[in-house]
Amino acid sequence: MNNKLNNGFNTWQKSFEKETKKNFSDSKSETDEGIDIKPVYTKDDLENFSFVESNSLPGQWPYTRGPKASMYTNRPWTIRQYAGFSTAEESNEFYKKNLESGQKGLSVAFDLPTHRGYDSDDDLVMGDVGKAGVAIDTVEDMKILFNNIPLDQMSVSMTMNGAVLPVLASFIVAGEEQGVDRSLLSGTIQNDILKEFMVRNTYIYPPEPSMKIVADIIEFTSKEMPKFNSISISGYHMQEAGADNVLELAYTLADGMEYVRAAISKGLDVDDFAPRLSFFFAIGTDFFMEIAKLRAARTLWAKIMKDFGAKNERSLILRTHCQTSGVSLTEKDPYNNIIRTSYEALSAILGGTQSLHTNSFDEAIALPTDESARIARNTQLILQNETGVTKTVDPLAGSYFVENLTEELSKKAWDIITEIEELGGMTKAVKAGIPKLKIEESATKKQAKVDSGSRVVVGVNKYKNPKEPLVDVRVIDNNRVRDDQIKKIQAIKESRDTKAVDKALTNLTNAAKDETNLLIPCIEAIKLRATVGEVSKALEQVYGRHFAKSLSVSGVYGKHFEGDKEFMKVESKIKEFENVNGRRPRVLVVKMGQDGHDRGAKIVATSFADMGFDVDMGPLFQSPKDVAKDAIENDVHAIGVSTLAAGHKTLVPELMKGLKEIDPKSKIIVFVGGIIPEQDYEFLYENNVSAIFGPGSNIIESAEKVIDLISDNLSKE
Amino acid sequence: MELVDKIIKGERAAIAKAITLVESSKDSDQQISRQMISELIKKPGKSIRVGFSGPPGVGKSTFIESFGSYLVSQNYKLGILAIDPSSQITGGSILGDKTRMVEISKNPNTFIRSTPSRGTLGGISMGTREASIILDAAGYDFIFIETVGVGQSEIVASNLVDIFTLIVGPGSGDELQGIKKGITEYADIFIVNKNDGELKMEASKTAADYKSALSYYKKLDELEKQVLLVSAIEQTGMEDVIKTINQIIDQNKLKGIFDERRADQLEYWIEEEVKHIIASDITKRLISKGNIPKYSKKVMKNEMSMYEAVETITNDTLKQ
Repeated sequence: MNNKLNNGFNTWQKSFEKETKKNFSDSKSETDEGIDIKPVYTKDDLENFSFVESNSLPGQWPYTRGPKASMYTNRPWTIRQYAGFSTAEESNEFYKKNLESGQKGLSVAFDLPTHRGYDSDDDLVMGDVGKAGVAIDTVEDMKILFNNIPLDQMSVSMTMNGAVLPVLASFIVAGEEQGVDRSLLSGTIQNDILKEFMVRNTYIYPPEPSMKIVADIIEFTSKEMPKFNSISISGYHMQEAGADNVLELAYTLADGMEYVRAAISKGLDVDDFAPRLSFFFAIGTDFFMEIAKLRAARTLWAKIMKDFGAKNERSLILRTHCQTSGVSLTEKDPYNNIIRTSYEALSAILGGTQSLHTNSFDEAIALPTDESARIARNTQLILQNETGVTKTVDPLAGSYFVENLTEELSKKAWDIITEIEELGGMTKAVKAGIPKLKIEESATKKQAKVDSGSRVVVGVNKYKNPKEPLVDVRVIDNNRVRDDQIKKIQAIKESRDTKAVDKALTNLTNAAKDETNLLIPCIEAIKLRATVGEVSKALEQVYGRHFAKSLSVSGVYGKHFEGDKEFMKVESKIKEFENVNGRRPRVLVVKMGQDGHDRGAKIVATSFADMGFDVDMGPLFQSPKDVAKDAIENDVHAIGVSTLAAGHKTLVPELMKGLKEIDPKSKIIVFVGGIIPEQDYEFLYENNVSAIFGPGSNIIESAEKVIDLISDNLSKE
Repeated sequence: MELVDKIIKGERAAIAKAITLVESSKDSDQQISRQMISELIKKPGKSIRVGFSGPPGVGKSTFIESFGSYLVSQNYKLGILAIDPSSQITGGSILGDKTRMVEISKNPNTFIRSTPSRGTLGGISMGTREASIILDAAGYDFIFIETVGVGQSEIVASNLVDIFTLIVGPGSGDELQGIKKGITEYADIFIVNKNDGELKMEASKTAADYKSALSYYKKLDELEKQVLLVSAIEQTGMEDVIKTINQIIDQNKLKGIFDERRADQLEYWIEEEVKHIIASDITKRLISKGNIPKYSKKVMKNEMSMYEAVETITNDTLKQ
């Protein structure tokens, strides 16, 4: 530091300490990522960088400032809203309306049965059909989904990982039957299976064959579909599951490296496919951190790809889609979500995203309505048309703070990437369950900060709204959707050439036994009207279905509450319970149906155990009947059902029935947590649910309620 | 007793409640439990009790899922008592065993109960023996008792079962040093899991290492210890396991070892119960007399030695 600046800084520091009555050195605040944020940054903070090059320009190495030279000044980001529900017919109507209102690209949400490779008529998926996305059973559904939407002009993004083969095949065949050659199809398929094993759990097959499928798709698209992104390497779901930004960044890029290796192992040259790799990040409420994350991601990816020997400049460039954070939305005081989403959107734009989805404010409760979807879309239209943010490329470049943060994030992420590489790459790390555990640990810490009030969430743990508004929600009658789908499947099965379908499926099974690119026999089967479920089963015969081992963290939650009065109150209630009843209160925490989002369930399990409950963890994808058997055999006092995919209206009554079938006198209490619209509360209470905990519920308060309910229930005996 | 009838009928909820009673630390529950067990013991079933133990990470639960699936496919009824080794640093436990027993937990011919170990000796919880009596009376053909293999657990667990199995992983040959004599006396079968994929060679080598080491420790009059290779993931070797179990049981029955073992176990059980009652009785007396704080003060003041204090307190407590 030169003398003049040094003197200036000393003067500033004195004023700062006088104003705040605190030492400057004690005035840092630590982020979730473990980065110390100082109250002021200076030119000195731009020195000794190993990743960020402060003098670089947009569209130039190391691409920190953006993939293109002109960025939004030439063309703004693509407004790409993720949507899909019910039947293909209804989703198609919704898409067309959105396109008329200014949306530019489509992004398809599939329902959970489709993700997991089950047809709508499968008994296992009773509660899930058409719920969290659109149900696709055959190519006919896919054709309806894009009815009157010309696929040679519309870029389509598809969130699909498990049943990626039959779904991509259906898309290709739907295009062909619309008269569009596959080489003209543009868009993206998520095709990112590694993160499914870490957080989202919509996998079908074990990791190794799943990686082979990913590589097959990269190979096929690089040869036949030049306008189509073969993969969207996603950190989004990691942040949603509770990962901090360093974990999200590092694991996403490490996943990317693994996919590059998988494609190279198919004999492809890195430049054959690398330009069509795309990314997907979450944008949460930590405003500057999110901006820095996108800048760091581009910087690191360029370095990674150079090390892979990429020669084509386009191979070095990280292009990304972003979505505002779903987990930052609250059920309480829901209009606050519009404001949260707006800031998150601005973060994504200042970070230089290529396309963006903004969440609707009611998504902590249910699927968006037409009205809430409009507000979400307008959030972006206002940014594009009214604020002037498109007029300057990377406007925060040169900011002492943002540049420094970009460097800090890059460094921390690089350390984790190096660790993963030393372990032998992400497939191995995922199999060992390391990333999953790290993310759960981070999630539990975040939850503890909110519950203890050390992190403020407006309207939830501070500034609560005394008059909570009741918002309209979109209601899906999944029984009707299921009936419709079953009828369609039956009609198709009657009219198709069964022998030809069987032969095509046998071919597919055989192809899975050798190195054939599986998309080719898949397209053949789909063309003949084989269903998504049939195709998935044909491969399952060779690969088997994957069941995840479940590891749990413990002690992370409780550590935040040492000496906390509320926490100790619950602890002592549990001790008293044990003295009176001869055992601890025992709770079974479950997910039912095909909903694999288990962050909530895991956090509840670990924090309840920290307070003194004995907690049974059920496996994923259980049927209500299985849950009932498990609960009764272990004689639990209560079952906690975690639901995030809207299946609760079918699955909870089934669970009640299951309990009574085994034990007509069952006194097991059932409580439900997750995404549940207030309109459903009465229905659940009528079905003997004892308590409902929406998103943002304080876990200690919830635990106290549960122990009180259990005690009351036992005293009635 | 109504509960007893329901257990014998095999009613799932009754079996579950009965296990809760035997695990309960409440005096009134223990009284009912004793009465219930006395009645159940008079109506024994024909279960074979098999113990499974092994170090963490060798795939015990996965093996039980795989082997259990095979047994139920052969129409056996299977009860599983899983002692969950989950951490007890913090208050409660997370019982996650069943997440690795997805298929068998669905089957109507299984009953699976997890119990937190609570750090008791060898991970065997209070009530495990009684729980196996309940499942026996309820008509289960096999009762598996799964414990994590740490320290003394094998010895305690082997006292509850007719046949005891140690599950190990490939490359555990180095641990043979640690096995030494103790365990060979307790385990009847050694199962080397993960005989699949890249680990196949290693698994075979480990099995061979075990075989040679075990023959070295073999006593003259003893049956040869069995070493089996399985893959829980690929479900291979399962017929061998059941065949071996049945063989050993048949031989033991023929030679009278089976009954001898059960008699020894009964003796051990009685001894444990008596010790338990005496200990808790004397502890109560010890605490009510308040001698410990009284005499420790004297030791602090150098009025008597520590050993004098111990002797005085012991005599005073045992005095009628």
